[in-house]
Amino acid sequence: MNNSVIIKGNKYGIIVVLNPDMPFEELKLVVAEKFKESSKFFENAKMAISFEGRKLSNEEQREILDIIGENTDMHIVCIMENDPGAEELFKKTVEQKLLELSNNSGQFYKGILRSGASLEFETSVIIIGDVNHGARVVSKGNIIVLGSLKGNAFAGATGNTNSFVVALDMNPTQIRIADTIARAPDKPVKQEVKETKIAFLEDGNIYIEPLNKNILQDITI
Amino acid sequence: MGEVIVVTSGKGGVGKTTTTANVGTGLAMLEKKVVLIDTDIGLRNLDVIMGLENRIVYNLVDVIEGTCRIRNALIKDKRYPNLYLLPSAQTRDKNSVTPEQMKKLADELRDEFDYIIMDCPAGIEQGFKNAIAGADRALVVTTPEVSAVRDADRIIGLLEANEMKQTHLIVNRIRMDMVKRGDMMSSDDVCEILAIDLIGIVPDDESIVISANQGEPLVGNDSLAGRAYLNICKRILGEEVPFLDLDQKQGLFGKLFGRRKR
Repeated sequence: MNNSVIIKGNKYGIIVVLNPDMPFEELKLVVAEKFKESSKFFENAKMAISFEGRKLSNEEQREILDIIGENTDMHIVCIMENDPGAEELFKKTVEQKLLELSNNSGQFYKGILRSGASLEFETSVIIIGDVNHGARVVSKGNIIVLGSLKGNAFAGATGNTNSFVVALDMNPTQIRIADTIARAPDKPVKQEVKETKIAFLEDGNIYIEPLNKNILQDITI
Repeated sequence: MGEVIVVTSGKGGVGKTTTTANVGTGLAMLEKKVVLIDTDIGLRNLDVIMGLENRIVYNLVDVIEGTCRIRNALIKDKRYPNLYLLPSAQTRDKNSVTPEQMKKLADELRDEFDYIIMDCPAGIEQGFKNAIAGADRALVVTTPEVSAVRDADRIIGLLEANEMKQTHLIVNRIRMDMVKRGDMMSSDDVCEILAIDLIGIVPDDESIVISANQGEPLVGNDSLAGRAYLNICKRILGEEVPFLDLDQKQGLFGKLFGRRKR
């Protein structure tokens, strides 16, 4: 029995394991033979395919698909890329880009978020209105509240530790930035003057400070 | 064409039924034709506050299910001939009625009445949905307590989501002495949180408990609460009425030492 080509499969797709050392022309013959043998089994199934064991050029992939087409009635719907390196690269690039996008771009929301309301944003958000007790706003980027923040705010929801929260009246029940959570003190602190404040993450702690020039300079987006 | 007003609050015990009874009676006093509907199916209250419990034959569920005609179920008030009550059923629950049925009922009553006032049950479930279904305007009642204000906030959010055309706030049971000491939120504090228009401030008043127990709404009488309710009615009719100075009933010491304006 020739084991240079192995077909593994389930209802939705097959994995073809190819011998990396055999010359491609020889391998093609084995592939043809294998699929001919199992064509009855696959019938006219619609399936995805993926190759393992050997790196194939686009040309080689096409040739193998042609062989499958000639020898069986099955339809190959798509080829699944199975290269961990490439996948990692794609993932990293896409996530990086999305992260940048969520921090750098934003949208406006006008209205009062009342108790029970929960809004989630893919980008940074500027809320023109209050976030009341019991309401929640989640953003993958930054949150800016042009009003009072009394409910829960969660910035950098996908883990961006540079995200920040700004509010004209900062009095939140909870603030979350990336994976760090801060909650309001149990005894409410009566603040005499209402001033704009910023909450940011530094050394694993969330700090809330009046917004001034120095702090603005330290912000990275 | 009559207007449908729902009186709601979210939290229980803040004075929805008292407000319904007094605002309804007040509007009748001002010569409007009014019907009060108790939508709190399963827990009848409004008829007791109105002192009409002994006249109940049919109820809201009977009307909805077609057991009787609306005319048969409406109870005429003992003081004002242009005031009617449609009581709720005690032996059924909120799921015996749907929002569509309530809307249809309200629309049928519009032709005959100037104001149809719905007394909403506490909570945000089926009973609430039934009560707001046909309403043009909502009166949100709250007391100056954090829990009541929180619930009112949620209710206002739900009313906005249901596209209520007009929503007004009534701050009930306010105690000026406590507000002054800083132990209670003022009506301004409540308004700042809820950010909707205020239509009335009603002081905490013993006479409300007495009037409820006697089944005689106190709107229009000489008590502060009675005057506050009548003012609310006038504002509903579109009149501009200044808010009462709730400090005035403080006695000699209050007058001597408590002259600070809020």
